[in-house]
This record gives sequence, C-alpha cells and structure tokens, in this order.
Amino acid sequence: MRVLLIEDDADAAQFVRGVLSDAGHNVDVCGDGASGLNQARSTEYDALVVDRMLPNMDGIKLLTSYRDSGGRAPALFLSALGEVDHRVEGLQAGGDDYLVKPYAPSELVARVEALGRRGNTESPATRLSVGGLEMDLLARTVVRDGVKIDLQPREFRLLEFLMRHAGQVVTRTMLLEKVWDYHFDPQTNVIDVHVSRLRGKIDKDFDRPLLHTVRGAGYRLEA
Amino acid sequence: MNLGRLPALVRTTTFRLALVHASIFIVFAASLLGYLYYETAGQLDRQANGELNAEFQELSAAYRGGGFDRLNQAVIERSQARGKFFYLLQDADGAKSAGDFDVLPAQAPPLGEVVDVKFNYDARTPGGEPSRRSAEGRISRLAEGGVLLVAYDVGDLGEINRRVSTVVWRSALVGLVLSLVGGVVISRSAARRAEQLSRTTEGVMAGDLSRRAPVAGSGDEFDRLSQQLNAMLAKLERLVVSSRSAGDSIAHDLRSPLTRLRNRLEAGLKETEPDAQVAALARSIDDVDGVLATFNAILRLSRVQAGATGSFRRLNLVEIADELSDLYEPVCEEQGLAFEYVSDGELWVHADRDLVAQAMANLLDNAVKYTPVRGRIQMRAQRERDGAFALVVADSGPGIPEADRERAVERFVRLEQSRSQPGSGLGLSLAAAVAEAHRGELRLGEGLGSGSMPGLEVALVLPAASSKAITGGRMKLIRREPDAVT
Repeated sequence: MRVLLIEDDADAAQFVRGVLSDAGHNVDVCGDGASGLNQARSTEYDALVVDRMLPNMDGIKLLTSYRDSGGRAPALFLSALGEVDHRVEGLQAGGDDYLVKPYAPSELVARVEALGRRGNTESPATRLSVGGLEMDLLARTVVRDGVKIDLQPREFRLLEFLMRHAGQVVTRTMLLEKVWDYHFDPQTNVIDVHVSRLRGKIDKDFDRPLLHTVRGAGYRLEA
Repeated sequence: MNLGRLPALVRTTTFRLALVHASIFIVFAASLLGYLYYETAGQLDRQANGELNAEFQELSAAYRGGGFDRLNQAVIERSQARGKFFYLLQDADGAKSAGDFDVLPAQAPPLGEVVDVKFNYDARTPGGEPSRRSAEGRISRLAEGGVLLVAYDVGDLGEINRRVSTVVWRSALVGLVLSLVGGVVISRSAARRAEQLSRTTEGVMAGDLSRRAPVAGSGDEFDRLSQQLNAMLAKLERLVVSSRSAGDSIAHDLRSPLTRLRNRLEAGLKETEPDAQVAALARSIDDVDGVLATFNAILRLSRVQAGATGSFRRLNLVEIADELSDLYEPVCEEQGLAFEYVSDGELWVHADRDLVAQAMANLLDNAVKYTPVRGRIQMRAQRERDGAFALVVADSGPGIPEADRERAVERFVRLEQSRSQPGSGLGLSLAAAVAEAHRGELRLGEGLGSGSMPGLEVALVLPAASSKAITGGRMKLIRREPDAVT
C-alpha cells in the first residue's frame, strides 16, 4: 500500500514510517498541514494517516479541504484527544478511522490495512467467501465446505467483519469498536472469549483452521 | 452607628433606594400636611378675613349713605354691642371720635387705599387682670377726612394656627427622621447579607474551599443565592479534592509499575541471552500497556467527574443490558460462573450509551474477577421503588463489608483483599462518576452469596426520562439537560 503520513513530530513520524514500512508499505511523510494537503492532492494514495494537531492547518481542516476537493483516499486520524466527542468530530470531517495515541504498532498497521481494503471493496457484496467458508449476507447463512453453521446474530456480525478483512490482522479494540460499537477497554478478555466461541463453530470440525491468533496483535481470518 | 463605615453604607444600592423612598415619603407627607393646614387653620383665617370684609362693606355703606356722622353713629352702636370686632374712628384732625382703641396701631394709608395690620393691644380679662392680646385689622382713610380701623381679636385663632403648624412641622420632621432611619436599617441588613456572601467568596478565593455562605432560613433571594453559591462551592470543592487526589493517586499507582518497568529494562540490559532480552522487552511492553491503561482510566474518570464528556440522549436501558449480557455471558461461562440476566420491559432514560455501558462493563469485570469458580453472577435491568431505573450486577463473591462500601467508590481505593488482583481500582469510581453525571447514584449492597461470601450487588440507578418524552415519541425534549455537553 502507498501511505501518506502527515505528522509534525519527527520522531513519531520516523516511528510510524518504520512500522508501516516493516509491514511492507510505501510511506511518504509530510511535516505540516499545508504541504500534506498538496501532497495528498497531487498523488494517488491508498491511505492517509493524519495527525490531528498540525502546524499551520490542523488535521480536521486538512481532511475537510481534501474531501471538498474530491479526494477519496481513506484516512485515519491519529490523536492524543481520545474522547468520544473528538472521535465523532474526526469522523464527521471525513475520517474513516480514529486511533488514540499512544497505540500499539500492531494496532496502527491493522487499522491502516483495514482502510486500504475498504477503499478497494466499496461495491456492496452480498456474498463473502474465505477458503471454503461462505457467508450469504442476504439470507444471513454461513456454510463451510457444504456444512451449514449456526451462528448467533452477534457471532454473525463478528464473522462478517473478519471475512471483510480476510488476510488482515484485526485487533481486539477494532472488534470491540466495529462489532460492538464500544469505545473503551474492558479489563477482562471478553473479545477473546467471543472469538474462541466463533472459532469453535467454524474451525472445530474441520482440518484446516481459518481463524488464527496473531500473538500480541489480534486475529486474522485466512485460508 | 459607626460613622467610619458610613461612606461604604452610602454607596450601597439599598441605601440609595431607602433614600429615594424617604424622599417620596417626604413629598407625600408634605402634601398631606399642607392640605391639612389649608383645611383647618387656613380655613379659619379665610373665614375671619371674609367677615372683616363684610363689616368693612357695611360701614362703608353707612359712610356713603350718611357721611361721617352716620358712620360715627354706627361705630358707636357696634362698639357698644360688644361684637366680634373692635373699632377706632378718627376725625379729620386725627382725634378719636368713637371706638374701642385710642390710637392707630399703624400709619394710615393714603386716600383710596386700605392697609391690613397685625398688632398687640392691652386688655383686661373679665376678672380685671391685664393681658396682652393680638389682633388683626384693616385701616382705611375716609374721603372727607378721618380714618377708620376695624380689627378682630386673633387670640384663639392664632393659637389654633400655631398649633396646627407646629403639628405639621413636627410630623414632617419625625417622618423624615423615621424614613431615613428605616432606610438605613434595611440597607444595613441587606448590606450585611451581601457582605457575608462577599466574605465567603473572598475566603474561597484565598484557598479555603470549605467556606460556605450562611443561610438565614427565610428562603428569600439572599438565601437562594447562598444556597446556589454553596452548591457550586460543594461541587468545586469535590472537583478540586478529586483532582488533588488524582495527582496523589497517579503518583502512587503509576510509580510502582514504572519502577517495576525500569528494573525489568535494567535487568534486560544485563541479559546476555538474546531470548531473555526479548522476553524482558515483551514483558516491559505489557507493563507500559498497563500504565497507559491506568492513565487513560484516570483521564476518563476526571472528565466524567468534571461533567466534560458524554452525548446524552433518550435510550432504553434494557437495550444496553441486552448487549452487555450478550458480551459477558460467554466470559462468565468460560470462568465457570453461572450467568443470569433478568430485564423488565423498557426502561427509558436520558443517558450517554458509551458511559453507561462502560460503567456496567466495569461492574461486570469486577464481578467476573472477584467471584470464585462455580459462583453466580446476575445482571438485572429493573425499576426501583422510587421510580428510577437501575442496572444491577450481583455476584456471589466476597462482597464488600458495609463499613467499607463508601470508601470503595473513592478513586483508586482497592480494598486489602483485592490488592492481589490486577486492575486500576478505578472501576467503581468510574461507575459512581457516571451515575453522578446522570444525576443518579451508585448503590452498593449484599449480593447473592451467604455467610463468609455474602456477595456484592451494585446498582447503577438512573432517573427515568421525563414522562413527556415517554408518551410522545416525536415530542421534542424541551428541558435542557445540564450535563449535555456538545
């Protein structure tokens, strides 16, 4: 993926660039809002990573201008401001995701990759398929290798999210945010328990596991 | 009155108002007394004057009809009749011709004019005692020479006149003094209340947050102002105290993990085995994550306590409870705990979904953490007896002794038996702060256990959404929510 990082803190920028490069992505860096906006307009990117606090043009304004001029690359806000109000503000300005500093590198990579994928699959699919696992979004049925799998509504949404991001790492926080719409960290391992239940249903009776645990990061659904 | 404080007193609004009132009172009193004078003493005066005119007219008519002699005759007759009037008629030479007086009390006017005079004369009482009396009269020069004086005694009339005017003036003076004194007294009492309020705020500004404005109990404007000021100060004090204790707690709760982290990194530095170094680093990252989580929890709690967060809207508590039971039921099962969920219809409240969910998640986290295997956890969404709605988490764990319950919701307080468990000690505090942000409360009680394991029951009690909003789904909620921050 080609990623534009707009971040004024040089150390932080260096770190993010390193993290994303290690994950195999091409990263350009801009140190302030105005040049970031120019760069984003002049070059096609798969994703933007924008710090909220920037010299001479803050992130919200930058993204608003970018969207107004027809820019369509998905954007992730990085911010030290973590309150729900700020988050909502960021999403209203045209952001696609919002990550609060400090964050784990794996979280950043997972979210940026999820953004890139989102940009590619805008068309509304009615069927999702990973390996032998098939999901019919209209009939709300799941079948693996011809065997019907019964899922609770929440499990269905969990699996749908994993399948939409098949091949990518999905973090626990992402799942809590996107599947449950909660923006806080429970102290118990609620997400792990739900994922392991889901795993019990889709993987247990089959030879090859699809749902993998990525140590220190999250989960990945992959054939 | 202390004169040294007079200028300050004069500057007060109330004193000025009192002064205005006094002025209005004086104008009113003056008009009233003037009218009184006009109707009493003035009336007598005018009456006497009218009679004098009539007498003069009659004598003038006699003079015109029969000349000096006729006039002389009339004066003699009238004088002898001992009527109301006294007379003196002088002939052209200035000698007394008839009447009661011997000399004129004043210079006679030129021909064609009259002059009114006031004078004293000596008379004898019926007992023969000499007495000095007052009279008023009119002098006129006659056309053919001679002068006529007609006068009446004003002894009684003058007395009445004097008394009435004395009464009028004294009343006016007393009224003036009373209204001024009243104004000053009222002004001083109001000024004193204002002074108390201002002393309170000065004390608070000087750093004494425990100062409160006195409430007289009369329920007047000053009392209401004092009560509001006191409520504001109480909240301010709570916030300041909690931010102070947050500072202490940050130092306390973050110092030990940071120290541990430092030691681990140092130990890792000395490791020669690459595997051991990696392991040390990995554990260090876990430590940092823990510190960050605590830090975030502190910030979040501070914001909730300060009422600085949340988007409040009408929502059904049962929906939140459904979602949470869905989220936590598998967790309980995995921990070997029986999970039970009971809900009651629809419980509409005005709340922030994320805050309520987080508070409940904290309570459920605690329940899962502290309840031993094969225990029970129960979540209920229910109506309280007082009409409020509650989300309740009950467990069969060790519970919290009644004496400790109040302390347990304070920031960072982790009761001794829970020290060994992971966690920031902010769960109950956050739930309490969330309850407060919704104008509700957090109630702690005994849970599902018995004996040495009484269990804990925590209820997040929220006020029901106003009935107007319940009956009319499309109605706009007009009441402004004080905690809604956008």
